[in-house]
Amino acid sequence: MKKIISTLLGIACFNAVLAQDYDAAKIPEELKKDAIAVIRNEEQFFDIKSLSSGQYDYKVAITILTKAGDQWAEMDEVYDKFSEISNVRATLYDGNGKKVKDYKSSDIKDQSLLSDFSIFEDNRIKKLKFVSLTYPYTIEYSYTQNFKGLLYFPSWRDLKGFNVSVERSAYTLQKNKGYALRYLTGSNTKTDSATVGDKVLYKWKSVNVPAITSEPLSTGIDNICQWVKASPDQFEYDGSSGNFNNWKSFGAWIYGLNTGGNKLPEATRGMVQNLIKDAKTQQEKVRILYNHLQQNTRYVSVQLGIGGFRPIVAEKVAQVNYGDCKALSNYMKAMLNEAGIASNLIMIGNDMPSLNKNYSSMGQANHMILCIPSAKDTTFLECTSQYNPMGFIGYSNADRNVLMITDDGGKIVHTPIYTEKDNYQIRKTKINLQEDGSAMLELKSTYGNAQFEDNFSYTLMEPVELRKRLIENSPVPVAELVSFRYLQPDKNLPVLNEEMSMKTNSLITRGGDKMFLVLNQINRKESIPLKVENRKTPFAVPFSYNDEDEITYTLPAGYKVEFMPKDIVITSEFGTYTAKFLTKDNTIVYTRTQTMSDKKYPAEKYNEYVDFNKKIYQADKQKAVLAKAL
Amino acid sequence: MQKTALKVLILLLCAGISYSSFAQTAAPVKREFKFGKLLPSEFDTKSTGIDSAASAIKLFDVGDCYFELSSSSGQFVYVFERHVRYKILNKNGYDLANFNINLYKSSSSAKEDLSYMDAATYNMVDGKMVTSKLNKDAKFTEAFDKNHVIKKFTLPNVKEGSVIEFKYRIKSDFIFTLRGWKFQSDVPTLYTEYNVRIPEYFSYKHNFSGYYMVDHPVHQTINASYAAGVSSNSTLDKYSLSNVPALKDEPYVTTMDDYIPKVEFELNATNFPGQMYKDYTGSWSKIITELGTDENFGGYIDKNSYAKSVLPGILKGEKDTVAMVKLITNYVKSNLKWNKDYSKYSTVTNPKLIFEKKTGNSADINLALFNLLKEAKIEAYPVLVSTRENGAHPGYPIITAFDNVIAVAQINNKLCFLDATDTDLPVGMIDYENLNHKGFYIDLEKKGGNWLSTEPEASSEKTFAYSFTLDKENKLSGKINQYSKGYSALSLRNRYRKTNNQEEFVKNFKKDKTGLEITKYEILNLDNLDELLTESMDVVIEDNVEEAGNLVYFSPLLFERTKENLFKHEERKFPVDFAYPFKENYRITLNFPEEYEVEKLPKGGIYKLADNKGTFTITYIAEGKSLMVKSVINMNKSLYSSEDYFDLKELFKAIVEKQAEQIVFKKKV
Repeated sequence: MKKIISTLLGIACFNAVLAQDYDAAKIPEELKKDAIAVIRNEEQFFDIKSLSSGQYDYKVAITILTKAGDQWAEMDEVYDKFSEISNVRATLYDGNGKKVKDYKSSDIKDQSLLSDFSIFEDNRIKKLKFVSLTYPYTIEYSYTQNFKGLLYFPSWRDLKGFNVSVERSAYTLQKNKGYALRYLTGSNTKTDSATVGDKVLYKWKSVNVPAITSEPLSTGIDNICQWVKASPDQFEYDGSSGNFNNWKSFGAWIYGLNTGGNKLPEATRGMVQNLIKDAKTQQEKVRILYNHLQQNTRYVSVQLGIGGFRPIVAEKVAQVNYGDCKALSNYMKAMLNEAGIASNLIMIGNDMPSLNKNYSSMGQANHMILCIPSAKDTTFLECTSQYNPMGFIGYSNADRNVLMITDDGGKIVHTPIYTEKDNYQIRKTKINLQEDGSAMLELKSTYGNAQFEDNFSYTLMEPVELRKRLIENSPVPVAELVSFRYLQPDKNLPVLNEEMSMKTNSLITRGGDKMFLVLNQINRKESIPLKVENRKTPFAVPFSYNDEDEITYTLPAGYKVEFMPKDIVITSEFGTYTAKFLTKDNTIVYTRTQTMSDKKYPAEKYNEYVDFNKKIYQADKQKAVLAKAL
Repeated sequence: MQKTALKVLILLLCAGISYSSFAQTAAPVKREFKFGKLLPSEFDTKSTGIDSAASAIKLFDVGDCYFELSSSSGQFVYVFERHVRYKILNKNGYDLANFNINLYKSSSSAKEDLSYMDAATYNMVDGKMVTSKLNKDAKFTEAFDKNHVIKKFTLPNVKEGSVIEFKYRIKSDFIFTLRGWKFQSDVPTLYTEYNVRIPEYFSYKHNFSGYYMVDHPVHQTINASYAAGVSSNSTLDKYSLSNVPALKDEPYVTTMDDYIPKVEFELNATNFPGQMYKDYTGSWSKIITELGTDENFGGYIDKNSYAKSVLPGILKGEKDTVAMVKLITNYVKSNLKWNKDYSKYSTVTNPKLIFEKKTGNSADINLALFNLLKEAKIEAYPVLVSTRENGAHPGYPIITAFDNVIAVAQINNKLCFLDATDTDLPVGMIDYENLNHKGFYIDLEKKGGNWLSTEPEASSEKTFAYSFTLDKENKLSGKINQYSKGYSALSLRNRYRKTNNQEEFVKNFKKDKTGLEITKYEILNLDNLDELLTESMDVVIEDNVEEAGNLVYFSPLLFERTKENLFKHEERKFPVDFAYPFKENYRITLNFPEEYEVEKLPKGGIYKLADNKGTFTITYIAEGKSLMVKSVINMNKSLYSSEDYFDLKELFKAIVEKQAEQIVFKKKV
């Protein structure tokens, strides 16, 4: 009897879809505005059958309005051996909603799908590109996905991106009464729940949502769209089981997966003891072992099933000297352990938002690092980098909530913050102008932290390629690159020195008898983001930094300065900027500072941010007027 | 050992002159290449000279290609063996320890097998060599799709200073083309050789290309027995090269593949005992005959039922050839959508099927176009081309070196190239990828054909006409007209259509033009491909005219100033290939306030490349309270040799510097 009910429900919701009319003329005007495509109807239905199995039925119909919308006329569905896809059906309709064709299963491509950092994974993708010569047209496809092992449930979001509107989109999640799950929704998303027999159904639905246009520096559309994320509490997956109810138990599962994975072979233990035998402090030991890791291992990523979460055992890494983030972090942990230093694995969202303290689930982290906890100075180690100074974890790992894996389960901790002061670029440039406008230029810069990271790759480049790159990227037109050097004075600190000397082509622009010299030759803001009226999404400045420039010009004999701009100070909540112009005898000294902070700002502040940038843009092109003395 | 760079080589090949290096007399290098057998000196290998900072060195790369009879099918298969060894110099070279082998299988049972694979890492530890073999769990098979399998291997214990090697064998059923050999790679190569043994029953074309001439120390007939009791001969060729520097890429080339020294093989003919000599692709006429009978080429073209049924409706009695060609091309463009694949073969065997599918590759579309032209009794031919991405065709009869087909019609004794893939291509223009300087037209009826120059008649031309008034607040207001022709019109049409709506398009247009506000934007002739594509807009420009004391100045080229030299590098090895000639005209007329006086106008100038290969002209005229500035850039060729590089760079240096010059006004006080 119970079975029949669930089947009936399934049929009921698909009947509604079948009756759908895809005539594009019936799309309300407000949904066409700014839209390249309209989601006509989307049905997500997930039936949780047990701790380890579930069935996902998906169906979508999208009307493509313009050529720009062709990117939405594609099916790209990812699966693996724990989530096989079957019953794929795909149909093309013309603008009037008349069926043009049904696609055959041979039209659907099945390909392996690897992340660019992996050499092997078990993800695959089913692909189909729908083609129509005329616009508008409608695509429709559906499939069933059977989950063996449930680490997460499909999430839902009505707006799929910019310039796409939604006529109707709905998600139904069905579970047994006794089954526990948690979900998180957008602030204006309404949840309907109903109990039918021993089944509980959660429903989310969205109708007639207009498209929004792309907005620069946007931090996402979470605040304006409806969305749901859902996670199991208890689960089973690939022979393992656990409970995601809170971060503590989440961490306990990861800890459990790693049981016994921390042993080292006898030879490696001996090696560790030998390496640290003269080290006096804990910090010295950590440095020696981290350095050993960087010199002797390399990053190789293979992600298969539970292997996507369980580190390869340290014994194995000791044998082959390669591994992914988990394997290398765990190997480092084992070496530290041998040296008598306690450390913990850290699950982290690299280049992702902080972990949500109040909602534990799979999918918020994508990376693993290591930490050596200490009451006042916890050290974090990025074990996949062969170059990072010890303790420097890079901007994409910094300043976020992460999960520390302990024998007492998971614990949320926060990674170090690199402030605008830390991420500095200090540069002194000497420009010796010649009679013809060309110059001899010498430049010395120091980069710290995030800016160290930005420029570090120069030290690894092959000199011929580096030379080409420096000439291409040079802010001044290079006539001859005389010399260049990148040096990290201390391998243990994220500080990089740069030195360059070159002959340039003319830096002066002429206009009749006058000569114009843009005083900021080195570090100019070259463009301004466009203003946006009625902005809807918040924005963020990409990263915190602090630039200091000093440029000293020596003028050729017989040149005089006819005009110098006035000093400039610009302050705003986004950052501060100063430019100073000083003339003395035949030299001009230009100094510029800019400090930016990476905070998140509400949408309505955006045009102020554009104005701030515009002022900097104008300040950066200030010119001195020179003339030859008679 | 290193050969002098033969820059002329490519040009010779382009001109259709084939060359043979059989006369090479370099003594064969006696060396043994055994898996696991390393000389201590190999650990000491250092890179020198231009490659002194290389991430790794290829110590050797040795390949063998030979035939055997398959025990299962009884057919000849070919065997490809490769043995490569690297010394890793720094961490950038670690990726070499991840090794991929791509295998192909067709929809029938024909396939390629990896029948042997071994790999190892060697490290010197305290003066002793330690070997780490490839682990079993470090071998992976990725089923990429139904035709492609990727075998993947990753080596243990790789460090700076390690030596690594891979040795493997592939057996392949696909003998029409054999695996070729590249003699240069991203890292410097000390020695590389390829030994090819071909049974007397087969003859193959050996197709060379690249910037360095390859050594050919061995060309001899040897005994080879393929079946018990049957003695036969085969031909052994050894190709080798020593001390090859690392490949370094450059901008404005067709594809770097054109410059890598390499050899490729295509089946010419078979001659089995007791069977007729069978010519596959030995001559152009043979290639044309084969194509004529291929169901995805000649067979496709010959099926005229669809053309017969639709042609009257398309032409509606039109008799003028030009008009007929346009009508037919438009019909194809509006009924078939290109799937962005290039091919010389259609995917189906009848144009009728492709018009039902409504989408197809370049051959499906352009051969359908040809099929209709033929039915309309218009003199037209298919033209085989090698796309820029695919690289230059060597010139002699080799079919695999083509990867695309377009059409040519002869109208009033003039050739008119046709390409119906991109709907914004007017009659007479072909897709950018086809601009590889030549194509081979084929006459399937007369079994003839020849090379044609595909140099575009329609170059790329852009004209900017600004007409402004400057006010005392230093605001410019007026009209901008922009005219696009040829390839610049094509790219503008493509961009416009890819954008959601005009509002969005104008937003993108403004993006890099600080201070520009557009009040009215119009685009004319978007769909009239034969007419001048015209944009006109009413604008106000702020922030571009500056003040310094009593001086007011601005750069008259405004947003169209060439800010940077296209050619920044100090030297260049390879030709500069723009694909098409281009022109850029800019004209601004400006009325300025009564209170302003022109200080002194910059000097005009004319800059020319030798032989009228390119010019740049800039002129300034002032009269009363108005002035005009004109800048004209003409690059008259699509291809410049590397010898022209320095002159090109100087020309662009002049363009950058002259276009930056300011107009200066003095305010009356």
